[in-house]
Amino acid sequence: MSGATTISRRRQNAARYVRIWAGILLAAIFLFPVFWMILSSFKLPRDIFTTPPVLFFDPTLETYISYIQRADISKRMINTVIVATGSGLLSIIAGSMAGYALARVRIKGAATFGVLILMSRGVPPIALAVPMFLVARKLGLTDLHITLILAYCTFLIPYVMWLMRGFFVGLPKELEESAMLDGCSRFGAFFKVIAPISIPGILSTLIFSIILAWEELLFALVLTNRNASTIPVAIAGIAGDTVTGANWGALTAVGTMTVIPVVIFALLVQKWLIKGLADGATKG
Amino acid sequence: MKKLNRFKFSVLALIASLIISFPAFAQEGLGSEGNPIEIQMIANEAFANQWQQNMVPEFQKSYPHINVVIDGVPYAELLAKSLLDATGPEPMYDIIIVDDPWTPQMAEAGVLLDLKSDEVAAWTSPDYDWNDFYKAPLAASEWKGVQYGVPLRSNLLLMFTNNSLYEKAKLPAPTPALTWDEYFEQAQKLVMDRDGDGKDDAWAISTYFKRDSLTPTIWQTIMNSNGGSLLDESGKAAFNSDAGVKALETHIKLLDFAPPGAVSHGFNESMTAFRQGQTATMFMWGSVFKGTAVDPTKTTLTPEQVGIQVMPVGSSSGGAHRGIWSGSINKKSDQKQAAWALLQWLSSKEGEQWHANTLGVFPARKSTLDSTPTSEWMAPVFVALKDGYSVAGEGGMWRPRSPKSDAVQQVLADEVARAIAGQISAREALDTAAKRVNKILK
Amino acid sequence: MVVPADTIKKGNEGVGPSRPRGYSNLADFASRWSFMMPAIIILMAVLAYPIFYTIQISFANLDLASFTATEWVGWENYQAILMDRGFKNSMKVTGIYLAWAMPIQMILGFGIAYLINAEWKGRAIVRALFLIPMVVAPVVAGGIWRMMLDPLWGLVNYLLGLIGMGNPDWLGNSTLAMATIIVIDTWRWTPFVVLIATAALMALPREVFEAADIDGANWWTKLWSITLPLLAPIIAATFVVRWLGAVKMFDIALASTSGGPGDATNVVNLYIYEQAFRSLRFAESAAMAVIVLVLTMILTGIFLLGTRKLENMY
Repeated sequence: MSGATTISRRRQNAARYVRIWAGILLAAIFLFPVFWMILSSFKLPRDIFTTPPVLFFDPTLETYISYIQRADISKRMINTVIVATGSGLLSIIAGSMAGYALARVRIKGAATFGVLILMSRGVPPIALAVPMFLVARKLGLTDLHITLILAYCTFLIPYVMWLMRGFFVGLPKELEESAMLDGCSRFGAFFKVIAPISIPGILSTLIFSIILAWEELLFALVLTNRNASTIPVAIAGIAGDTVTGANWGALTAVGTMTVIPVVIFALLVQKWLIKGLADGATKG
Repeated sequence: MKKLNRFKFSVLALIASLIISFPAFAQEGLGSEGNPIEIQMIANEAFANQWQQNMVPEFQKSYPHINVVIDGVPYAELLAKSLLDATGPEPMYDIIIVDDPWTPQMAEAGVLLDLKSDEVAAWTSPDYDWNDFYKAPLAASEWKGVQYGVPLRSNLLLMFTNNSLYEKAKLPAPTPALTWDEYFEQAQKLVMDRDGDGKDDAWAISTYFKRDSLTPTIWQTIMNSNGGSLLDESGKAAFNSDAGVKALETHIKLLDFAPPGAVSHGFNESMTAFRQGQTATMFMWGSVFKGTAVDPTKTTLTPEQVGIQVMPVGSSSGGAHRGIWSGSINKKSDQKQAAWALLQWLSSKEGEQWHANTLGVFPARKSTLDSTPTSEWMAPVFVALKDGYSVAGEGGMWRPRSPKSDAVQQVLADEVARAIAGQISAREALDTAAKRVNKILK
Repeated sequence: MVVPADTIKKGNEGVGPSRPRGYSNLADFASRWSFMMPAIIILMAVLAYPIFYTIQISFANLDLASFTATEWVGWENYQAILMDRGFKNSMKVTGIYLAWAMPIQMILGFGIAYLINAEWKGRAIVRALFLIPMVVAPVVAGGIWRMMLDPLWGLVNYLLGLIGMGNPDWLGNSTLAMATIIVIDTWRWTPFVVLIATAALMALPREVFEAADIDGANWWTKLWSITLPLLAPIIAATFVVRWLGAVKMFDIALASTSGGPGDATNVVNLYIYEQAFRSLRFAESAAMAVIVLVLTMILTGIFLLGTRKLENMY
C-alpha cells in the first residue's frame, strides 16, 4: 500500500524483535538460579561453598548415585508421578465442570457454593493435616496413593474452578446457544464445543495443577509412610538433616531430578497448546 | 576328694540348667524357622537407610528369624508422626527412636514400655550391665525414675579447633583447660587477613546463631558452665538469672569474631565455614567429626589439623550439651520381645563396639569408650566424649526435661533469636522468655 | 467476520432458556447441578470433618494421648493468641510481604507474558522454559537462593563485590531478609502468572485487534481499550488464586531465612507450623488457623466483589 503502512510495519517488526530479545533475556535471568543448581549438583561437597564461588571444578556423579539409592528416589519418583497426574486430571475434570457452572449455567445458589469452595482455600493446610490423618487412619486409608490424590484435590479443585471460570466467562455466548439449538444437551455443548475451544486454558491449568501437586509436602509427610512416599518428603529429609548436614549437593541433585520430568511434560504439552489454538482460531 | 565331687556336681548342674533353658531361646517371641517375626521401627530419615542397609543384616546374623523394617521421617516431623502413630488404637511401629528431649512427652502420653520392668528383665541377658553406661546418656531416656529407652546414637555439643589457624596466629593449640576469658583473648588474634588483600578471610568462631531450636543450646552451655541452670527445682524458669543474661551476651559477643552473615548461620553454614578452613573454632555436634576432619570429599581439613574437646571452661566447669538418640518400645506392641532383642543387641557391649567401629556412631558405654577404636580418628573423639559426659552430667547440660519441652524450646528459640538479631536486649529476651515458659509449665 | 469489541456478548449471564422460578423438569435441574456435583462431593467428603475438627479443638484443650478435644475452654485459646506478640508480629510480617509481592508478581507476570508472546519460532520453548522456576521444590528454591545470597560464599555478593557495591547481609538484615523472601517468592510464582496470562493472551480474538489496526490505533490505545478489558476476568481470577496461594507461603521462608533474623520474616503460616509441629500446641494453632481463615475470607470476599464490578464494567 502506501508508505505510511510500510513504516508502521517496519516499526512493528522492530517492536517484535525487541520483544523477542527481551523475552530471551528475561528467561535467562529467571533460569540462572536453576543453572546454578544443576552446576552445584555435580560438585563435590567441599567445592560447593568456596570463597569465591567456582565455575570450574572436578565434576562428580557421586552425589547423584549415593542419594538415588539412599533416599529411594526411583520409587518416590513413580509415586509422585502417579499422585500428581491422578489429582491433576481429577481436579481438571471436576473443577472445569464446576467453573463452567459458575460461568454459564444458571443455578440458584451455585454462586454461593462457588464462593464457599474458594474460601476453603483459606484454611491453613497445617491445621487440616492432623484431622485428615486421623480420618484416614480410621478408614484404613493411610499410605495409599488414592488418599493422597483425594487430599490434593481439595486444594486443586478450587483453583481449577476459579481459573476455568475466568476463561469461560470470556467466551462468546453464541457458541453454546448455537450448539443447543442444534439439539445438543448441556453436557454435549460443554464437551463438544466449549472444551475444545478452551484447550489453551485447560492445558495451562492442568500444568499448574500437576505442578502444585508435584511439590506438595505437608499432606505427603503426614499421610504416607513407605508405600506412597513422594519426592518432596525426600527433599525435606535431605534439607532437614540434623545428623550429617551440609547436604547442599544432595539437595541440588534431587532438585535437578525433580525438575526434569515436569519440563519434559510441559514441552510436550506445548505442542498441543499450539494445536489447540490453531483449531480454535479456524472455528471462529 | 570331696572338693572334686562338688566341682563335678556344679559343672553337671550348670550343663543341666543350660539344657533346660535352651527352649527359652527358641520361644515364639523371637520367631522361628518358617515363622519369622516382623518388627517396624520409626526413625530419623538421616540414619534410617544406613541402619536398614548395614545394621539390620548384622543383627539378623544373631537373630535370623526377625525381620526389621525401618521407616525414615524427616527430623522436623518425626516427633509429631511418632506421637500420632503411637497414640492410635493399633500402632504400626514397635520401636520408636526418640531424640533427647522427647522422652518425658512420650512417657506422659503413656506409650512407652518400662525397660527395667520384670517382663523385659526376663528377656535381658545377665551380662547386659546397665551400670556400664555413662549416667548422662542413659538419663536421656529416663523419666520420673523409669527407664524407657537405651542410648543408641550418642552425641554431644563440643568445640572443634583448627590447629593450623591457631599456629598461623602464633597461638598455642587449645586444651580442655581453656577458659572463656582466654578464649576471647585469643579470638581477637584469630580474625586474620591471611592473603594480605586488606579483607579478613579467617575468623575465630562459627556456630549456631540463626533462628532455630538448637541455637539456644550454645547459650545454655555457656550458662551451665558458669553455674547457671535452665529451670530450678520447682520447675520454674531460672535462666533469666545474671548468669543466664551474661551467657547470652557472651553468645552475642561471639558474633564479633564470626564471618560476615553469621547471624543467619545454623548447622549447615557453620559447619561449612569450618570445613573450608575459614574459622579457627566451631561449637558443633561431635557426630560431624568424620565429615569435618576425615572425609576429603566434604572437607578441606585433615585429622591432624582438627582438635575436639569440651567447650571453654566457665566459673563452674567446661561445657558440653547432650543430644542422645535412644531406642524405646511401644507399650502396645505385639512383638515386645523381638523389639527388645534388637535394642538390646545394638546397645550391648559387643553391639556398641560394632556400631562404633563399623558405622562410626558414638557410644555411651564405659567399656566401649575405654577400648581402642579401629579407626584412628575416633580416638580423640572418645576422649572428648568421656570428658563431655561427666561435664554434662554434673551441670545438667541438656534441653528442658518436661512433657512440654518442645513448647519451651520454641520460646527460647524465638527470644534468643531476637536478642541475637539485636532486636531486643539479652535481659529483655530472657525475661520475656521466662514469663512465657512459666505460663507453659504451670 | 469483524466484530467490534463491545458487541461481543460475554459474561456470566446464564446461557440457554432461563427459568425465573423453579425448573422445567427434573432432568433439567439434574443437568444443571451435575456440573457442580463432582467438585462438591469430593470437597465435602474430604474437608468436612477436618474443618469441623479444627474449629472444635480451637475451643478446647487437646489431649495428646488421644488427639481429641477434652474440656471446653470457650474463647480462651483465642484470647491467648490475640495477646501473643509472636502471632501479631507474624500477621504484620505477612501483610508487608503480601503488599509487595502481589503487585510485583501480577505486573511482572502479565508484562513478561506479553513480551514472550511475540510471534517467532522459539516461542514455545521460551514459554516452557519459563515454567521451570515454578517446578523447583520450595525447599530447594529456598536453599539455592540461600546459597547465592550468602555474604560469605554467595555468588550475588561476589559479583556485587566486583563492582564495588559492598557486602549486603541478605539474610541477616531484617529489611533485606524480607526483600529476600519477596524475591524468591516472585521468582517462583511469576511463572504461574505468565503461564495463565499467556493462555489468556492466546485466546484473545484476533479480529478485534485487526479491526483496531485498520482504525489506526496505536500500541497504547490497544492495550487500554482492548487487551486489558478483555483480560479483566482472567486478571481478577489470577489475582485471587495467587493471593490465596501467597497467604499460605511458609516453606520458602523456612528454607531461606527460617523466619529470621529474629522474627522479621516469620510469616503467619510458618508461625502456625511452628506452634503445631514444633511446640505441639495443636489447639492454639487451630485457633490461629481459624482466625487466618476468617480474615482471608473477608479479604477474598472484597476481592471477589471487585472482580464482579470489573467484569460488569467490561
